[in-house]
Amino acid sequence: MITAAETCDFINEVVCKPANVKELFEFGNFAGTQISRTEVLILLAAIIPVVVVFFGLRKKSVVPGKLQSAVESIFTFVKDEIALGVIGRGGEKFTPYLVSIFLFILVGNLFEVAPLINFPVTSRMALPLFLSLITYFIFVFVGIKEEGFGYISHLVWPPGVPVALKPLVGVIELVSVLLVRPFSLAVRLFANLVAGHVMLSLLLASAYFFLVQPGGADYILSKAPIGLAWFTLGLGIYGFELIVSILQAYIFTLLSAVYIQTSLHPEH
Amino acid sequence: MEAAYALIGYGLAAIGPGVGIGLIAGNAVQAMARQPEAAGMVRTTMFLGIAFTEALALIGFVLFFLV
Repeated sequence: MITAAETCDFINEVVCKPANVKELFEFGNFAGTQISRTEVLILLAAIIPVVVVFFGLRKKSVVPGKLQSAVESIFTFVKDEIALGVIGRGGEKFTPYLVSIFLFILVGNLFEVAPLINFPVTSRMALPLFLSLITYFIFVFVGIKEEGFGYISHLVWPPGVPVALKPLVGVIELVSVLLVRPFSLAVRLFANLVAGHVMLSLLLASAYFFLVQPGGADYILSKAPIGLAWFTLGLGIYGFELIVSILQAYIFTLLSAVYIQTSLHPEH
Repeated sequence: MEAAYALIGYGLAAIGPGVGIGLIAGNAVQAMARQPEAAGMVRTTMFLGIAFTEALALIGFVLFFLV
């Protein structure tokens, strides 16, 4: 974004449209390879949790060190609050899956506020969609395993509903469970991260444009307060995005657990 | 011009969820104040409710980019 803006003539043009604006959206590959930046970051997001958990739990001492207690508190949080708290009986089985997606999404989201990276990998639709499809297959599989063919027939012909309403409720239920659930799960994560990334880029890039620009001294003095205001606002949003990153990882894991729970204990 | 329409559409899509999230959070605070021992359960349910409500606004946001 910054390199694109440097082709602008700030003094003579009021509205600047950089000629190479397409470069903002096409990062391209690393020189001589077919590997893009996103792929490297996805790989990093998969490796970092493994490394942290490995070193955290390598020497299991009774009095845990800093890293060990941090890793253990994440595990306990996901197990008690999400797996056992939401799924209840039979939730232990899903703890490994929930911890894995929680850590993966958390690291992927935190890339948004990590200095020098500043790009959340979960803001590429492929990744949230893939994760939500895994959850989708798990909860459909669990439902079919628990109830057999009854899982589908209970969706289409829900029990406990007046007969006159059954076709209508059945259609709504079928669409909402089998289509809207995975879609909204993916879109929620994706859109939150895209919104945050766009907001941060716009604020910090406008701060850069107003603060660091060609022109005379009086020109800089007149525009610097605006740039400072944008910069302060951008820093505030930075902190907000840190909270959003953690919260979205939690919400994705929580909703996965809720969907698994509705398949596991259909009576609730 | 299409982008302007999409922008208006996104603004409209954000009204309902905005009111909804306000209601959810307000009632959750009230519930937590009345029964502090149930705060953990209320907070989990609040996040669930917010997540479901927020989805509507986010779909509007995505459609804004699609147009």
